[in-house]
Amino acid sequence: MKPSVEQIQNLLALKRHEAPEEGYMEDFLVEFHRRRRQEAVRTTGLAANWQRLVDWFSNVGTSRKIYAGGLAYATVLAALLLAPRDSPELVQPTVPVRNEVVPAKDKAVQQLEELDLSPASKGQTGEQEF
Amino acid sequence: MPDDSPQADPDDDLVARARAGDTRAFDALILRYGEKLYGLVYNMTSHKEDTHDLLQDIFAKAYHSLPRFRGQSSFYTWVYQIAVNMTLNFLKKRKRRAGMSLNDLDSGVLDDPALIDDAHMANPEKQSNLHELQKRLNEAMRGLSEPHRTVVTLFDIQGLPHAEIAKILRLSEGTVRSRLHYAHLHLQSLLQDYWEE
Repeated sequence: MKPSVEQIQNLLALKRHEAPEEGYMEDFLVEFHRRRRQEAVRTTGLAANWQRLVDWFSNVGTSRKIYAGGLAYATVLAALLLAPRDSPELVQPTVPVRNEVVPAKDKAVQQLEELDLSPASKGQTGEQEF
Repeated sequence: MPDDSPQADPDDDLVARARAGDTRAFDALILRYGEKLYGLVYNMTSHKEDTHDLLQDIFAKAYHSLPRFRGQSSFYTWVYQIAVNMTLNFLKKRKRRAGMSLNDLDSGVLDDPALIDDAHMANPEKQSNLHELQKRLNEAMRGLSEPHRTVVTLFDIQGLPHAEIAKILRLSEGTVRSRLHYAHLHLQSLLQDYWEE
C-alpha cells in the first residue's frame, strides 16, 4: 500500500520542529565574528581587492556573464581588425621602371612657338625704329 | 513567515543599519533567520558539520554582498536564494567526492528530541514506529534528486508557499508545483514497502 500524499506531508511537517541545540545560534555568532576578524587580517590590500572582484563575479548572474564574455570577445576582435599593422597586403606591388624619357618642352620654347613670326607680320607687330 | 510585499519588508530597518556598518543589526538578522536556514541546509545535506560550515559561509556571503543588495526582493528571499544556491553547489561538489559515504550522513530526526511527539510519549511502541518511519523518510528524501529535495524541503518542511519558492529558485510557480508533484510521487513509491508492513 502506498502512503497518501497527505500522509507524507504530515510526516515531513514533523521535521519543521528540527532545530539546532539550545545556545547554538549564540555560539554561531561568536564564531561568525571570529571568522570575520581572521578574514579582515588575511585580506588586506591587493588581496582585499581580489576578494572584492571574486565576490562581484560570483554575484553576477549567468546571463550577464555570457553577455560580458561576448562583449569582451567582440571588443578584442574589433581591436584586432581595426588596429593598423604592416601587413604584406598593404605593400604596393613593384612596377617596372620605364627607361624611355620624354623631356618636357621648355617654357621659353613654347612661348616662341606661340609668337607669329611669319613674314607678313614683320615690321608691323612690335616693330620698333631706332 | 515574513511579508514579502516590497512596501513592507520587516527587515528594512535592520538591513539599512547593517549596510551602514552596524554589525549588531546584522547579528539580529542572523538570529532572525539562522534557525530557519539551518533547517533548510540540514535537510538538504543531512550532515551537521557540513550544515554548520555552510551556514557560516552563507551568512559571510550575505554580509559581503549586503552593499549590493538593492531591495528588489525581501531580505528573506534574498538570503534564502544565497542559501539554496550555495547548498546546491556544495552538494554537487560533495557528490564528486568519492570518499563520501551515506554512512557519514546523520540519521537526522532520530537524534532530535524536538521531534518526539508528546501524544506518543506514553506509548513507546508508537514512538518507536514514528522513529522508524522518520528514518525511512530521511532515506527516501536522500533518494530524491536535488531539485526535488529542494522543493520538498522548502514547501513541506519549511512551509513556504509556492510563490515564495518560485522567487527563491527563480522558477515559475508551475515548475515548482510540477516538481513537487513528481517528488511526492517518488516519495510515495520509496516509502511503499514500509507502508505495506
